[in-house]
Amino acid sequence: MSTASRLGAPLVAALVAAGSVGALPAAAQDPSVVAPAGDVSFMVFGDPAELVAYQELVTSFEAAQPDIDVELIHIPDQADYRQRLGLDFSAGTPADIVLINYRRYAQFAARGVLEPLGPYLDQSELVGEAEFYPEALEPFRWMGELMCIPQNLSSLVVYYDKALFDAAELPYPTDHWTWEEFLATAKALTLDTDADGRTDQFGLGTEASIFRVAPFIWQNGGELVTLSDRGLPIRLAFDTPAAREAIQWFVDLQVVHHVVPSAVEEAAEDSESRFQNGRTAMFLNSRRGVPTYRQITGFDWDVAALPQHTEQAGILHSDAYCMPASAASKDAAWKFIEYANSAPGQSVIARSGRTVPSLVEVSQSDAFLDPAAKPANSQVFLSSLPTIRAVPVLPGWVDIEELAGEELERAFYGNASVDEAIAEAIARTQVFFGPGE
Amino acid sequence: MLLPFLVGTLLLVGLPAVMSAGLAFTSYDALSPPVYVGFANFRTLAADPLTGIALGNTLFFVLLAVPLRVLGALALALLLSQRRRGVGAYRAAVYLPTVIPDVAFALIWLWVFNPLYGPVNLVLQGLGLPMPGWLADAETAKYPFVVMSLFQIGEGFLVLLVGLRGIPHQTYEAATVDGGSRIQQFRWITLPLLAPWLLLLTFRDVVVAVQYTFTPSVLMTGGDPYYSTLFLPLLIFEEAFDRFRFGLGSALMLSLFLLTAVAFVVVYSVFRWRGYADDI
Repeated sequence: MSTASRLGAPLVAALVAAGSVGALPAAAQDPSVVAPAGDVSFMVFGDPAELVAYQELVTSFEAAQPDIDVELIHIPDQADYRQRLGLDFSAGTPADIVLINYRRYAQFAARGVLEPLGPYLDQSELVGEAEFYPEALEPFRWMGELMCIPQNLSSLVVYYDKALFDAAELPYPTDHWTWEEFLATAKALTLDTDADGRTDQFGLGTEASIFRVAPFIWQNGGELVTLSDRGLPIRLAFDTPAAREAIQWFVDLQVVHHVVPSAVEEAAEDSESRFQNGRTAMFLNSRRGVPTYRQITGFDWDVAALPQHTEQAGILHSDAYCMPASAASKDAAWKFIEYANSAPGQSVIARSGRTVPSLVEVSQSDAFLDPAAKPANSQVFLSSLPTIRAVPVLPGWVDIEELAGEELERAFYGNASVDEAIAEAIARTQVFFGPGE
Repeated sequence: MLLPFLVGTLLLVGLPAVMSAGLAFTSYDALSPPVYVGFANFRTLAADPLTGIALGNTLFFVLLAVPLRVLGALALALLLSQRRRGVGAYRAAVYLPTVIPDVAFALIWLWVFNPLYGPVNLVLQGLGLPMPGWLADAETAKYPFVVMSLFQIGEGFLVLLVGLRGIPHQTYEAATVDGGSRIQQFRWITLPLLAPWLLLLTFRDVVVAVQYTFTPSVLMTGGDPYYSTLFLPLLIFEEAFDRFRFGLGSALMLSLFLLTAVAFVVVYSVFRWRGYADDI
């Protein structure tokens, strides 16, 4: 395809969107009026191992509801998925059911293109609101209304390679370790094994983003954002002493201690790949990595809680089933969402390792805590729930994360001082905060 | 015969371009109706440092890539214009990278310029030379884009090959009889007679180069590190389809169009000054 026509495609999409905006239906329907039947489409992201889990869910649903066919649309990469989602909404042709993270649904909810699912859930005979962890439901309330049904509520944890710990004769992390112990462990596991002056094994792998640094800010008694008198976010609070100190500590992991790959090393091979290949001892990730890591055959691995500091805090990761207001067959779409979030549906995905189920019952069942399935310490995802916190839900949060992430990354890889990055992050993101009223 | 192309161009290129130009004066998120905002988008763009960065990056690429691509095509066309044994295979080798799908091409170069495991740096390491970070280093990140573009010059190469074959042999024979050296023949025969083709190629290459970076920047860097590979086409795409600011994206698109038009005028003026422009 020529570059000219490549640039033409977005134009055409924009025009299609221009013509279809008025056609978006908005009113919620009574789910009990029409007998659900027909075809629905369901769009997901994830690695091949995650796709298998959703394929199993669809098969299981179609067996229970033979009148409804589900077309599974799979976009492997999360960034591509977000782009596809935006394009589909712009064109007025999103899938009937889409998975959206709580950090990103507000931009769609604010524009009225999502069908509120609270009324549907209220009428469900299969599952009720009280059966979900409130920590998972709350972020998906927009203007007091439940917009999407969360499938999971993972926290950020430390995945660790037991073989590398054994080789270094280090004890495995406990669920109550400190920043100091964490850093000492990472240092002990960062090795130049062939003495050629280049690090061959890193103690830690992580991305440098708001989402990764946030729990450390909270653990140090800081806040991500400043709130207005009415409790609404009005600016980034990175320049408060507690937040700044936590960011400096996080940045120093790379810049001072070199326990994390440099920008060049990360570009050559990313940290997740290094972890999977047995060359990074610890890796920060949510539950999402489990289906893929279960395919690791070269070494044994497990999960531990994030190290703690002056306060305990974790960060919520949650994706939800959302229904675009333009869905052609809302009843059939709801039937699928309802099934996916009932105990049998959530059990299918939980067994794959993909989720920490948002249903209390499933999270405490063998579908999630199966002692024969890795990670052995799945309980840590549940024990960290009391201290889990969510980032603010704002239509502009996607932009805030992106811009602040660029600045944090600059500091993390030694191309700017922490103070410079903080000042830039605050200045550049300010436009995306509301007036706080 | 030409009607289908005319209709297709009008409907699929002309009409969307005009509508896009209209969107440049609106605030439009593609989910609610556009609102007329006058020149506000252009003022926003002028105040946004990213616009200047993307413009600078794009100019850097165009100014470096276009001369190198045109000269590269000319050099290869001169080298491979004579009928010799096996020349067909060489010509095919020059053209081949041009037909590799853009996505595959970008992924190949992502590996070629891998700062630790890529062949470029392994060769440099073998020679005891410093190993640049290439795409991971803001200082060097744009150069791989230029280098990879130099391997997709097949179309220009073909055009010049045809141009060279259009030059009558008798001209060279007469020059040889008069004692003209090879360099003099190139300077006074080949170059003037190829000038219209070179002008055409340069025009086309300016347009291609302005847009060329889109696929590689999406796939290889996403504009990183710290906006050093944020080119205008990527910024347009991000504004419109990542951030739902179609008005800003369209305003940028219109600016890019005008920028290309200015580049056209500059190139045309240079050739006109040299007296070649009326030949095409």
